[in-house]
Amino acid sequence: MAVGIGTTVCLVAQAVLLGSIVQQVLLDHAPRDRVVPQLVGLCGTFMFRAACSWSGELAAHRTSAQVTSTLRRQLLARAVALGPSWLATERTGELAASATQGVEALDAYFARYLPTAVLAALTPVVLLTFILWTDWPSFIILAVTVSVIPLFMVLLGLEAKRTASHQWARLSGLSATFYDLLQGLPTLRAFGRARSGRRTLERANEEFRATTMSTLRVAFLSSLALEVLASVGTALVALFLGLRLLDGTVQLGMALAILVLAPEVYLPLRRAGAEFHASAEGQAAAERILDILDDGDQATEDRSSREAGGEHDLPVVAGNTIRLTDVEVRYPGRSVPVLDGVDLTIEPGEHLAITGESGSGKSTLLSVMMGFVEPSHGAVTVGGVDLRSLSLRDWRRQIAWVPQRPYLVRGTIGENLLLGNPDADSPALYRSIELSGLSGLVERLPGGLDTPVGEGGITLSAGERQRIALGRAILRDVPLVLLDEPTAHLDADREASLRDALGPWLDGRTVVVAAHRRGLVGRVDRTATLVGGQIVEVGNASPQGTRPIGARP
Amino acid sequence: MSTVASPEPVQPRSPWATLRTVLRIGAPPRARFLLSTVLGSAAAMCTVALLACSGALIDKAALRPPLYTLTVLMAAVQLLALGRGPFRYGERLVSHDAALGALARIRMWLYDEVEPRSPAGLSQWRSGDLLTRATGDVDLLQDLYLRGISPVIVATVTSLFAVVVVAIVLPAAGVVLAACLAGGVGLSSAVAWTRQHRLGATEEALRGELGADVVELLRAAPDLIALGRDEEYLERALVTDAALTRLACRRSWTEGAMSAISVVFTGAAVVALLAVAIPAIGTHRLPGYMVAVLPLVALGAFEVVTPVADAVSRLSHHVEAARRLLDIADLPLPVSDPTDPAPAPTGTEVSLDRAVLRYGPDHPRALNGLTLSIPEGRRVALIGPSGAGKSSVVNVLLRFWALEDGEAAIGGTSLDHLSQETARSLIGWVAQDTHLFNTTVGANIALARPGADDGEIAAAARAAQLGPWVDSLPRGLDTPVGEEGAQLSGGQRQRLALARALLARAPVLVLDEPTSGLDEPTAERLVHDVLATTTGTSLLYVTHRADELAAFDEVFIVDNGKVVGHFDPKARLPHGDVQSGQAAPIVPELFDAITAPSRVGTSGLGAV
Repeated sequence: MAVGIGTTVCLVAQAVLLGSIVQQVLLDHAPRDRVVPQLVGLCGTFMFRAACSWSGELAAHRTSAQVTSTLRRQLLARAVALGPSWLATERTGELAASATQGVEALDAYFARYLPTAVLAALTPVVLLTFILWTDWPSFIILAVTVSVIPLFMVLLGLEAKRTASHQWARLSGLSATFYDLLQGLPTLRAFGRARSGRRTLERANEEFRATTMSTLRVAFLSSLALEVLASVGTALVALFLGLRLLDGTVQLGMALAILVLAPEVYLPLRRAGAEFHASAEGQAAAERILDILDDGDQATEDRSSREAGGEHDLPVVAGNTIRLTDVEVRYPGRSVPVLDGVDLTIEPGEHLAITGESGSGKSTLLSVMMGFVEPSHGAVTVGGVDLRSLSLRDWRRQIAWVPQRPYLVRGTIGENLLLGNPDADSPALYRSIELSGLSGLVERLPGGLDTPVGEGGITLSAGERQRIALGRAILRDVPLVLLDEPTAHLDADREASLRDALGPWLDGRTVVVAAHRRGLVGRVDRTATLVGGQIVEVGNASPQGTRPIGARP
Repeated sequence: MSTVASPEPVQPRSPWATLRTVLRIGAPPRARFLLSTVLGSAAAMCTVALLACSGALIDKAALRPPLYTLTVLMAAVQLLALGRGPFRYGERLVSHDAALGALARIRMWLYDEVEPRSPAGLSQWRSGDLLTRATGDVDLLQDLYLRGISPVIVATVTSLFAVVVVAIVLPAAGVVLAACLAGGVGLSSAVAWTRQHRLGATEEALRGELGADVVELLRAAPDLIALGRDEEYLERALVTDAALTRLACRRSWTEGAMSAISVVFTGAAVVALLAVAIPAIGTHRLPGYMVAVLPLVALGAFEVVTPVADAVSRLSHHVEAARRLLDIADLPLPVSDPTDPAPAPTGTEVSLDRAVLRYGPDHPRALNGLTLSIPEGRRVALIGPSGAGKSSVVNVLLRFWALEDGEAAIGGTSLDHLSQETARSLIGWVAQDTHLFNTTVGANIALARPGADDGEIAAAARAAQLGPWVDSLPRGLDTPVGEEGAQLSGGQRQRLALARALLARAPVLVLDEPTSGLDEPTAERLVHDVLATTTGTSLLYVTHRADELAAFDEVFIVDNGKVVGHFDPKARLPHGDVQSGQAAPIVPELFDAITAPSRVGTSGLGAV
């Protein structure tokens, strides 16, 4: 703001100084020595203007960098605070794009459009005030033409925005076709059709060019109108000034100053218009980001505070009964509840299996126990205390959860295992490797535990990933273990050996296993069967007999 | 077919050479490009001349001459004011047209470069996103033409014009203006270039890292939250973000310097021109009204040259994009056609004799003396662990890669002697992951044989057991594959690929792990249908599933680029009760059983 005013004042001072120099030289035939003060003044104003625009750019870009950084921070923090159930409804790729390129695109808005918009609002007003004060006829010409500009910009800008988005869609269409052809080249080659693919590309290129040009012909009309308006306005000011100079009703110095300032009245408006288009992408990104930040604002506030700390002291899982009472879970956009009045009591140290078809609500049940999903009705209690009044962070500290599709972070196998417990010592680490059936994999790899996984590292199978998650869980050494389809990726032999290896470790812990087939569950104390979100059967004996090792405590 | 010569590899390419090469490949249509620069320069000259003429008009008017002496100037002011807009409009249109033309050429070029290297020549070198990036890079280059080259040429032409006109009026003033313009543009461009050079790479790297951090944080969120490590990973992403923000602040400094430099040099030009002009007016070497005209010309000229520094600051992005594209053309060509291709053979026996294949001089042998033959009409399966060389066999037969040593032949004619087109016409292919083009179901099948009529396409679809599904689609074969409702399942995709291969009526069918992405029952049905619909056709079936072998005439086991064993699955199965469907996937247990010498005998396998 201050910078904008400084720049505008400089512009006025420059114009006045230039006018006075010209007047003295032309009319008074002054030699160079007599205008030295003005020349020096002119130097000064340019220097000052340079300083203004430097600090202006500095401020604009720094502010923008900080704003975008803050937005990114809030966006990510919010996304994490909203938790797994919310993340599951979002497309992660799109969300990640919002947090990176989307926020990046906002830079054009904050660093370029906003400063020019401020100037566009400020500069014409200051300049026009000066011109009104010195020469009202010029003021009228400029004021009339300038006031038409925003009108024009709104009318044509809307049109341009529409064509721009069409244009964007079409370009991505062409890129998609191009990509499709490049991707499909093996097929085209195998069937001897590479040349016809080339023709398709040629046609797509030509079509794109033709349609683009026809939209651009219209879209560029808006800037043509602005351009004509600005230069005709300037020319009119010059012509009228010339005529009135002939009459002697206006002074040369002032006339020249106004002439110099006339284009500057239009410039910020034109520039703001151009930057507005350039920042259109950023604005779209901003809308999306603000949507996310607003998303369930209230709900998140509650959640976030609960993640940090709850009202009640945490009951320890070991020795306390976990009880689900009439738990109902509904996901937005689905008419049927995923869990529908589930009642379940899990005694400490009990091994419970939850079976059912895929989609019957097994994973959701585990998510409810993890505190990822909040029941829309009913409650989960631990030792009589409602989960809702607990610190989820502390609650989860007592749980080892092995999801169906665990995610491995960038880093080595060892680092991924230690994610479960960064303080684990190496005997514990090796024990977890052995128990989770990872020994073979680790031995086979030349880098052993230091082999990087994921991008740039080795690709692990779904089963191997899940065993790493199991290793993580084992390292945690906690009283409650939630296993989501732990053997889905294993054949019968391996499943059996995993079950045998894990048995002693699971003993004494409370275990809930979700599995779509009974045979995969192993030996448990009880089996609950879910059908369509309801528990239809709780059996005391597992299909394969009672638990193998040790008695119930 | 692959006659496109790659440009001589220049290692490493300088930014300048990269630009020159990419501009040669994507040369904008000459006439349109010339017209756009002429129109652009005309518009820019109008800007400068409008200021100059208005200044002259006012100065002369102040001397209060008779009105008629001013009419020419007044007319000029009006004309210039009206002319600038249309010139600029024309320039923008024509330059966009030229840029689109240039991009079209780059796309065609890229297609021609990728074509002979696809797929083996690309996948051996880079990760899968090569093509995604390449398409993005082509789009990025649009700016090179519109905001990189065009404004620089216009600025050069216009400022030269202004300098020459000023120099004619007063030589010293011409020198001053030239010096200031050169100094201003040169200095701000230098700042822009060094900044991009120094910070650009770091910034790109940080952006990439942030992207990876963010994706990881969001994807791993459930695991991280469950493990109580979410805050740590959030912090990690924010540390990268903070580094990026610090970098942006550093960049803002140069951003400011660029605009300050331009203002300072504008001021220097105005003041210096006045300082030179005033004494000249005193001595009557220069008409008095020029005292206003010269500074106004300077203001106009500086307005025209401002985009140059911006263009320079974007240049390094364009150079990087161009370099990535040119790198693709530097990849070696995996196969070339013989100068005098042999006619298509009549027989269809496929044979590989001591085949050796390597995906590059430093690479290990992917095929290491592999010998294999598929007599006419025989159904052969190829099994082995991943990396054994199974896909390399497919690459050789489809002529995606040439052998280093040994021979591959069809019907007794070496593949080296056949044109790639002829060789491929003999082989129908079902890939591991079928690519469906974004068109209709029918067109996707029909591409196997141009000119096939609707009846033949429908018959191929029926033969691949797609009939009921196609009938259930509201628009049948004309349903677009991408449209909702017609989203194909993995099984349907593979059946569509099978329909393609059937329509091609090639005498040999190669199926490269067609069931790898399918669940068991779907895979079983597919294999059954493949065998049922292709009786009489030679078949090479690559798989890693033991339960699929039972119906084949012969099974070859491949490891380390060699055939290490073969057996007749109908006679005896090596491990477990395969036919009951209870056996484990073949790798690695079956494989161990097969390759371990002591067990080959007990399994009843014939060693090669």
